[in-house]
Amino acid sequence: MERCGIPSVSVISTGFLKQAAVIAKGLGVPDMAIAEFPGVPMTQSKGELRRQVIELLLPRIIAGLSKPLALSALQEAVLPQPRDIVFSGTLDEINDYFHEQNWSDGMPVVPPTLNRIEKFFRFTERDPSEVIGVCPPANRAATVWNVAVNGVMAGCRPEYMPILLAVTEVICTPEYKIEDAGSTPGWESLITLSGPIIKQLGFNAGQGVMRVGRQPNTSVGRFLRLLIRNVAGFTHGPEGADKGSIGQSFLVVLAENEDAVAELGWQPYSVDRGFKAGDNVVTVQSVVAISSPAYSQSERAEEHAALLADVIGERACGYWTAIGMCYANWHPLIILGPSIAAVFAKDGWSKADISRYFCEHVKIKASTAERYAYGAGLTGFRINNAVNEGLLPQTYHESDDPDRLVPVFQKPEWMSIVVAGDAGRNQSRGYVCNHVQGVPTSRKVVLPKNWDALLAVSRRKK
Amino acid sequence: MTIPLNEPTYDVVWPLGKPAYATRAPVARVADLSNKVIGETWDYLFRGEEWFPILREELTKRYPGITFVTYDTFGNLHGPNQRELVARLPALLKEHKVDAVISAIGA
Repeated sequence: MERCGIPSVSVISTGFLKQAAVIAKGLGVPDMAIAEFPGVPMTQSKGELRRQVIELLLPRIIAGLSKPLALSALQEAVLPQPRDIVFSGTLDEINDYFHEQNWSDGMPVVPPTLNRIEKFFRFTERDPSEVIGVCPPANRAATVWNVAVNGVMAGCRPEYMPILLAVTEVICTPEYKIEDAGSTPGWESLITLSGPIIKQLGFNAGQGVMRVGRQPNTSVGRFLRLLIRNVAGFTHGPEGADKGSIGQSFLVVLAENEDAVAELGWQPYSVDRGFKAGDNVVTVQSVVAISSPAYSQSERAEEHAALLADVIGERACGYWTAIGMCYANWHPLIILGPSIAAVFAKDGWSKADISRYFCEHVKIKASTAERYAYGAGLTGFRINNAVNEGLLPQTYHESDDPDRLVPVFQKPEWMSIVVAGDAGRNQSRGYVCNHVQGVPTSRKVVLPKNWDALLAVSRRKK
Repeated sequence: MTIPLNEPTYDVVWPLGKPAYATRAPVARVADLSNKVIGETWDYLFRGEEWFPILREELTKRYPGITFVTYDTFGNLHGPNQRELVARLPALLKEHKVDAVISAIGA
């Protein structure tokens, strides 16, 4: 509005004022008019809401639109250049300083020295000064340089650099909507890795795949969280934009078990994502919740499908499907244990068949979905309106019965299935995406021309 | 006995990115809301359907001639069609001769 030359006032509830300040600054209007909505609107009675609006919100809106605003000094502080030394000290002193500055995630960081950073540039042909993109809401530039800096801090090895760059390209893509990574559901970004680079760099695709512990899986996952803090502005410190109400920790990289996939005759996840088999590909998506471990037992595919649809589909995804309906966009991911995938393949099921089964068999009452959506704050959402607007298919409004059953999964092609985890057990698990925020987005990992030689040198130095 | 520490020290660089925005002041306010056109933009969240009507009612009592371009004109700016709806916002604000906007709600 302000860019259009029209004065505006933004209504912000009390708990979100700090986030509003970060967003306003990132939009270049730090003195934007804000009218505080007192308290939590979703827990107020109708009478209380009316009183708050008339007695408190209304005068603040009037003031925001009509009274001159107090303006802060618009001059930016002088910022460090990439090679400037901003601090010198021992390991402990550096970590204390980084914590004080909100540049860390609460765990010790590896000191980002020029020497360590330079090693990362051996594994890319890109110029260190290249701007990969801009990350809202802080609207800071992600560059090849600060990717390396945050990679060093996270404990990455220099040879992970091509993966770090591909991941950064994803989060700078507008459709990923990194600006919403601080929304109250507290979603995290999950990186799924496909291709021969999994073995080349020693990623774990087997037992304990999602456990902190293996260096590449863990440090690359941590890198992404650090980058999101330091470039997009999602710290939860005093100036932070992260409003995850309870939140969750960063996720380690999910590496696909491509050997198991090949043995089944299935295509790798990279092909599901539109790439060639054998391409190194990262896919990043949001994860807002994780299902219970789903133990399915049978020699028949359909019995596994039924159990997975119950545990992952109905129980884990059922609640959040309402939010997916509101945004007409939802991308759950299933990590299928290799032994379970083998039963499906033996019975002739493809990954697409499993996704179709979920779409056809997992249902929820329309009234229940609307109640869940309302509670989350989506008070303007009605399923029938979404159908009338063409956002949801007609299957969601086959009658006016509020208790009619509607699908939990909207489109089979929006689901992802990745084979990974313990080959010696019968376990799978579901990862629930946060609808239009953090939609699965993929990039090919670009390797330097002399990758094999560089990798050989790096291995000898280990 | 205290063992003297001979720890190495490290020279480290800044891990943040440079701001990619130009800072500017907000545009001038509207001194009197009487006879002005107020636009409502909403993300269809947090009971806006209940309190926007209260605001309209109260503002109308205080400012003669004030009118509103209600949120349904602009659509759900945080919904599935966010980018398209935000892109058409400048044209709609101009078309409806909007003087000031109430934008809601961050919660």
